[in-house]
Amino acid sequence: MARPYAGRDTFPKLLLANAREKGSLPASREKEYGIWQSWTWAEVAAETRALSLGLTSLGLKPGQSVAIIGTNRPRLYWSIVAAQMAGAIPVPVYQDSVAEEMQYVLDHAGVSFAVVEDQEQVDKILSVQDRLPTLREVIYVDPRGLRNYDHSAMHAYDQVQAAGRAAEADLGSELDARIAAGKGSDTCVMLYTSGTTGKPKGVVLSHDNILITSRAAADFDHLTERDSILAYLPMAWVGDFIFSMGQAYVKGFSVACPESADTMMADLREIGPTYFFAPPSIFERLLTTVTIRMEDAGPTKRWLYRTFMDHARACSAKRKAGQALSLGDRFMYLLGEIFVYGPLKNTLGMSRVRVGYTAGEAIGPDLFEFYRSIGINLKQLFGQTEASVFITQQPDDGVDPDCVGVPTPGVELRIDEKTGEVFYRSPGVFREYYRNPEATAETKDAEGWVATGDAGFIDERSGQLRILDRAKDVGRLKDGSLFAPKYVENKLKFFPNILEAVVFGHERESCMAFINIDLSAVGNWAERNNIAYGGYAELAAHPQVYAMIEKNIEETNRSLAEDPMLSGCQITRFLVLNKELDADDGELTRTRKVRRRIIAEKYAPLIEALYGGRDSVFAEIEVTYEDGRKGRISGNLEIRDVRTFPRREAVGRAA
Amino acid sequence: MSVPPVAEVAATDREYARKETDHGLNARRIGHVIMELKDITLRFGGVTAIRGVSFDIREGEIRAIIGPNGAGKSSMLNVINGFYHPQEGEVWFRGQRRGPLKPHEIAHQGIARTFQNIALFRGMSTLDNIMTGRLTKMRANMFWQALWSGRAEAEEIEHREKVERIIDFLEIQAIRKTPVGRLPYGLQKRVELGRALAAEPKLLLLDEPMAGMNVEEKQDMSRFILDVNDEFGTTIALIEHDMGVVMDLSDRVVVLDYGSKIGDGTPDEVRTNQAVIDAYLGVSHD
Amino acid sequence: MGFLTDPFFWEVVVSGLLAGVMYSLVALGFVLIFKASGIFNFAQGVMALFAALTLVGFLEGQLPFAHVINWMLGTDYHHWYEPAGGGGPAAPVWFVLLSVALTTAVMVALAWAIVRLVLRPLVNQEGIILFMATIGLAFVLEGLGDLMWGANVKALDLGLPSGPSDWIIDNTGMFVEKLELSAAIVAVILVTALTLFSQYTKMGRALRAVADDHQAALSVGISLETIWWIVWSVAGIVALVAGIMWGAKSGVQFSLSLIALKALPVLMLGGFTSIPGAIVGGLIIGVGEKVFDFYVGTTYLGGATENWFAYVLALVFLLFRPQGLFGEKIIERV
Repeated sequence: MARPYAGRDTFPKLLLANAREKGSLPASREKEYGIWQSWTWAEVAAETRALSLGLTSLGLKPGQSVAIIGTNRPRLYWSIVAAQMAGAIPVPVYQDSVAEEMQYVLDHAGVSFAVVEDQEQVDKILSVQDRLPTLREVIYVDPRGLRNYDHSAMHAYDQVQAAGRAAEADLGSELDARIAAGKGSDTCVMLYTSGTTGKPKGVVLSHDNILITSRAAADFDHLTERDSILAYLPMAWVGDFIFSMGQAYVKGFSVACPESADTMMADLREIGPTYFFAPPSIFERLLTTVTIRMEDAGPTKRWLYRTFMDHARACSAKRKAGQALSLGDRFMYLLGEIFVYGPLKNTLGMSRVRVGYTAGEAIGPDLFEFYRSIGINLKQLFGQTEASVFITQQPDDGVDPDCVGVPTPGVELRIDEKTGEVFYRSPGVFREYYRNPEATAETKDAEGWVATGDAGFIDERSGQLRILDRAKDVGRLKDGSLFAPKYVENKLKFFPNILEAVVFGHERESCMAFINIDLSAVGNWAERNNIAYGGYAELAAHPQVYAMIEKNIEETNRSLAEDPMLSGCQITRFLVLNKELDADDGELTRTRKVRRRIIAEKYAPLIEALYGGRDSVFAEIEVTYEDGRKGRISGNLEIRDVRTFPRREAVGRAA
Repeated sequence: MSVPPVAEVAATDREYARKETDHGLNARRIGHVIMELKDITLRFGGVTAIRGVSFDIREGEIRAIIGPNGAGKSSMLNVINGFYHPQEGEVWFRGQRRGPLKPHEIAHQGIARTFQNIALFRGMSTLDNIMTGRLTKMRANMFWQALWSGRAEAEEIEHREKVERIIDFLEIQAIRKTPVGRLPYGLQKRVELGRALAAEPKLLLLDEPMAGMNVEEKQDMSRFILDVNDEFGTTIALIEHDMGVVMDLSDRVVVLDYGSKIGDGTPDEVRTNQAVIDAYLGVSHD
Repeated sequence: MGFLTDPFFWEVVVSGLLAGVMYSLVALGFVLIFKASGIFNFAQGVMALFAALTLVGFLEGQLPFAHVINWMLGTDYHHWYEPAGGGGPAAPVWFVLLSVALTTAVMVALAWAIVRLVLRPLVNQEGIILFMATIGLAFVLEGLGDLMWGANVKALDLGLPSGPSDWIIDNTGMFVEKLELSAAIVAVILVTALTLFSQYTKMGRALRAVADDHQAALSVGISLETIWWIVWSVAGIVALVAGIMWGAKSGVQFSLSLIALKALPVLMLGGFTSIPGAIVGGLIIGVGEKVFDFYVGTTYLGGATENWFAYVLALVFLLFRPQGLFGEKIIERV
């Protein structure tokens, strides 16, 4: 096979090439002590080399693996390539996993070195170190609080780099040889998927997987070295690895790291990236903050916002319907850009965004339209860790909110006729699940086709893939009509008051739902209306909150009724949970996906009460606090009926 | 805990600092006496708030002052910080006997404090609040400042950097530009600590740093107090109601009751002291 | 809406705005002192009178305390220097500038004396007691002014441009005094300078700190007395500017101290603690009373409504927004 990218087929080689050709362009940025620091490609290459030599002199051998644990920081990104240079395999780990979860991953991956961010991660590792037989050295970035720790197997990042610089003469040529020996088919990274069930699986991806896919997708969107991105999603997530490592290295653009998780919004505004990815939940949260702020704003502002947002939506609708915009429409849109859209994009930190993506879950069409209507090129993609992310993505001129795009160049699609499950084959397809051949065989067949686990079809109108739901979650109601819970939940979650929703209905007479209120939105509403509440549970149970949620659900039902395929999914009854669904309690995945089965088990009595026709239920629920202690929340939950609508009833809207 | 002998007398600040170096004292280890209060008596009109109390604070330690309500703890802190002047007794700080100085002069000597009912500059941002903590460290003359000269600007940048380190330390980057009046209580307390730290104090006074906090906020605050003591070697004297917190945090504890000292020592010593137990159980006084 | 195109209406508005600038200046002095020390300074108007008297005295080369000296020594000195042209517009520029500088120095010294002799002994006293002290201060200053410079009405002329602005008449047909125009410009410069000072300097930060919380300010090493001195000095300088403008318009005389009473409705409107409030409040009162007088007063009420309209406006305002336009919650110290 011809290799047009010889000499750039691994990350270490790409780094050297970038340092040579783009040496003075910015590669990494980080806000420290309130000021943006920046490193050029040449500087990053030097820093990475120093660390790699340091790790080598500490005894890191080719084939060993290196865990990388922490929030997005340039030094941790460098350590990925430093490990690869030394011939080792980087394993980024979710920094918010508890010690137990971390122990499983570190042990399963047979990690010998760990590069971690700070004391918090060091403490977690130390607490399980007796169950990590292969772990030899821990390297930390931030020394705060670690001075009095036993340093026999622990080193400061800076010191490892200093040792590496000193060892250049001894080990430099050895390192060069290791870099040169690297091949595209070598393992690039191992990423553990959080998965909705069972223990996490280590997805083994080669340099070819990552780099060929990154290149194809970056060319698809015309990314260049002048682009920039803010790296704020977990480093252990494949998306961050593709965007902030793969595509950044392939195209040579700069990656900025936020100061802290809390300052993400401010940092976004300051950096003004041109390339931006966020899961729907973040777009939703951003819109919620905007909505809250607008509700608090003065009447003039509110009026401006409402008028121009309505206009933007109207323009979008016209464009979608293929109508031309009148001169008046254009003028109004221009005014809107000055008074509303421009300032709004600026507040959101998206003034410069040229290519924006969302994925992970279906995004509510209204939410999606909101961002597109103010002029942000937001698109959807469909991806998986096993595919090195990209399976399908939307072209700039073909964005349909219900679909997820056309196959990324190099990807083949196949849809199973019986189950509707989507399969793909591509250069990005993972090599294997680490030490788990059965799971590998289950997922990837002999010809290289991989099952996505999602059911979908090719939309005839746009020629794009349309995802319905998880293949195993798409069910039938008792009367045989289609039950797509996630589709309904997403519709519900578009209301600012609703944080999470869980809809039940498979093989039942009708759909019913659990609701989680959004504490910031509802709390703000309560404050403005002088409604006193003692805590989350009390607010959730408030009759006025129930009334508000009921209205939201009714509206959802109304729009579901308009879709003949899904009108059976209207919600007949609901209750508002008195605790937030939480990853710590196993109810959500780390990426905040609902774990349906676990919830169904844990809350079985509540579900029975819903379907049993009772109007209230006593609930006692176990919760895990942040420090790991467990407790119980109990109380009476009200159950309410909601109005449903006959299929295709569209009169209410027009009135 | 072994401690070197009692503070020596030093004529000047510089001499004290030199002696300190001669001792080879590690800032993080407990050193000699930095402040000594001798027979302090404080009266308000006919009411005696503090009655002949003596104790000392050693360099690098966390010293707690505890006692039931109305025991005179806050008055004691106000004496140290110069809000009140005792009618009798002596205050020795860094080897010198202290005259009747004004609070702002005492601040310049290197004593910073926080207040029980948060005293922040509510109209200013977090950053500006912590910046005011640097006032004692600013050299540039007022009039240069008023003219915004190059020298003043260079200094401003230098101070800003120190402040940014404190912001980083206290993990309050996200509220840097937020007016403090809008912050929740726990964060306000943290900003107030930041302002006191900005002065790089030789002695830091904390007046009920954890009052009104929930369990999680208390844990955070305890960690910050320990970290401050550990990272910067700052000597800390604190008043606290929550006995559990005090016992975990402090090296030595002095116990006041009705204005008199009834106990002094390590947390374990104090815990077993009969007078202290009586005071906390409310055994009546003669 | 016909009156919007009426040039007379606009002329009235502009003259109201310019008069309002004067009110704003006096109110500004009040606000500065109130914010930093919680004192309602009754003597602010008299300070303006005193500053103007002092400036005229220097300009005319008068010997301070001439009456006292002559009475005690039996001499007959009145002037130590006879400026060319009697201190009028013909006086050399350096002499005018020197006089202004000397007057400023006197105001700073006065501020120091007030802090030493009035504020320090009364520290931590009730607000009402401090207010009474400033009433006393007003009388003392009035007497001091008489004693130093004599009690007769004096014209103040710094050579500022006067008469109607031809340019404005030619272009808009409105009749606007150059003097009032320059007053407005000076006021804008002054307010800008004050804002920059309080936002961007160490002193400014200290001032805002003291305004927010005395105890906390002390604990970070701010000396209250220094801050008071600075604030009273700045208030003195603001008073000087107000005195110059008012004096150039209507002569330096005792009635000058009464503009302090006009500042009261301005403060009610704008809030006692807000610098922008003082400015906007002054402008609203200035325009309001002129427009009311022009359209309602002279026609239906027999004129001269300017004397009381401001108070009515302020009272009506108080009913709806007691803390003023920009003010914080009412502070019990008033």
